[in-house]
Amino acid sequence: MYWLSGGFVFRKVISPFHRLDPRAKLLVSMEFFVLSLLSSTVVEVILILVAILLVATVAKSLRRIARTIAFSGLFAVFIFAINFLFGLGLLNALLYSVRFLAIISSTSVFFVTTSPDELEQIMKWMRVPRDVVFAFVTAVRFIPVVMLDAFQIMDAQKSRGLEFEKGNVLKRVRNLVPILIPLVVNSVIRSGELAEAMESRAYGSTPKPTSLYGMRLRWYDVAVAVPSLLLVSAVALVVVFHVTLYI
Amino acid sequence: MTLIEFRNVSFVHQTGVTALTDVSLSIGKGETVAIVGENGAGKTTLVRHINGLLKPTKGSVLVEGKDTRETTTATLSRKVGIAFQNPDHQLFSESVENEVRFAMKNFGFGEDLIAQRLDWTLKFFGLDQYRKSSPLVLSGGEKKRLTLACILAWDPDVVVLDEPTVGQDALQKEKLGQIFKLLQSTGKTIIIVSHDVEFLWPIQPRLVVMSGGKVVADGQISQIMGNRELLEGARVTQPQLLRLYQGLASRPATPFLDVLEARDWIGGRKQKPEAR
Repeated sequence: MYWLSGGFVFRKVISPFHRLDPRAKLLVSMEFFVLSLLSSTVVEVILILVAILLVATVAKSLRRIARTIAFSGLFAVFIFAINFLFGLGLLNALLYSVRFLAIISSTSVFFVTTSPDELEQIMKWMRVPRDVVFAFVTAVRFIPVVMLDAFQIMDAQKSRGLEFEKGNVLKRVRNLVPILIPLVVNSVIRSGELAEAMESRAYGSTPKPTSLYGMRLRWYDVAVAVPSLLLVSAVALVVVFHVTLYI
Repeated sequence: MTLIEFRNVSFVHQTGVTALTDVSLSIGKGETVAIVGENGAGKTTLVRHINGLLKPTKGSVLVEGKDTRETTTATLSRKVGIAFQNPDHQLFSESVENEVRFAMKNFGFGEDLIAQRLDWTLKFFGLDQYRKSSPLVLSGGEKKRLTLACILAWDPDVVVLDEPTVGQDALQKEKLGQIFKLLQSTGKTIIIVSHDVEFLWPIQPRLVVMSGGKVVADGQISQIMGNRELLEGARVTQPQLLRLYQGLASRPATPFLDVLEARDWIGGRKQKPEAR
């Protein structure tokens, strides 16, 4: 479980991609997302997936993205099976399932390489209300903590003789109660404590607080953003508007 | 008779962090063992191997001669009861009595036996008045006692306590000390993971000192606590009673185990026997 979740949790790595401005990273991720949607053949989607993996390699996060693909692979198989069984044909079924993998991987690249602080900066830049930004970023920040809690709770209940894998589906669902209740209770307690701690540290006392770190576009951000944007725009023009490009 | 055996156990977390390196340790039936060491020394990781929650990356852990890799945590837990550090990680039932019943039901105890053990445990831990209350509304100390009650209710042979004194007031610690003495008298094997040397000192357990995922010392607490250099390396402090004893110009043959002994000696009554 921890192994799988790593595909969406930020990890501090020194890499050229990590050094990019978060807006440039978001742009690249969105471009892959859009390209995945625009692609109409299996070969195109596979090429996009390969490009994403290349970016992941540059970001020294290939193994993490591979985990995302491994986990999403189960759903991709399901998508393939459903589409194939409903008569969309082998190639279309394959296209939809690989497209799904490309979409998931493109978002994974963004989350693995963007710290919660950078996420906060982007949202503020997008003029998202401050409380919404704080709530979202805190939720992202707390994912690993809540997961750790869940594992510890599972261990505690297993130590009291609970066997999660035993019994029929109903019993297995019922077995989740001893995990979910402490997990929810702990999360509620933690959020209350966090709110008190934030208020004790003057959260909300100034309508427009200043930031210690700001975003600044540098030459390499532009060098990544502009050509990639031009490329995606060109593809979109060809695919959506059937514009013929004379290059 | 050896009950638990760690044979050259190494453990690497999924994150790649090495938590234990080549740990070998034997714990006999009826022994009281305290595991101390700095934060991140591998103490909790070590005890999680005893009921199979963690399986060694290298080496093996044997409980009553059986490899923990070949059996389930549920089976091992019938023999090994672990009370975790944070009670909030296990309490979930709508009432205290159902919380205590939970494990006994999982282990397939009959209703009569459950009722009998429930009564005894709740009375023993002073939780009888909260029988119908939600465990979530109890105080920190009461929750801690409830987790212990949950473990002792099914009467495991080995009782493992992870930081039992954290969040306990002085009176609760004293009560906990009494519970330990009672458990010792019933022949249970007790393993305590703790930073609280003041609590451990009067119990006089066998002491295992861990540092950086390795066992750096293993022996009687009175001997190990005398080795300041070793303790400093593992960030463990000497108990105050021992420091007081070492500072005295005239002192008895063995260190004081409680304040009253020290007071009597210093006060000139010298009632402490010369050799314990």
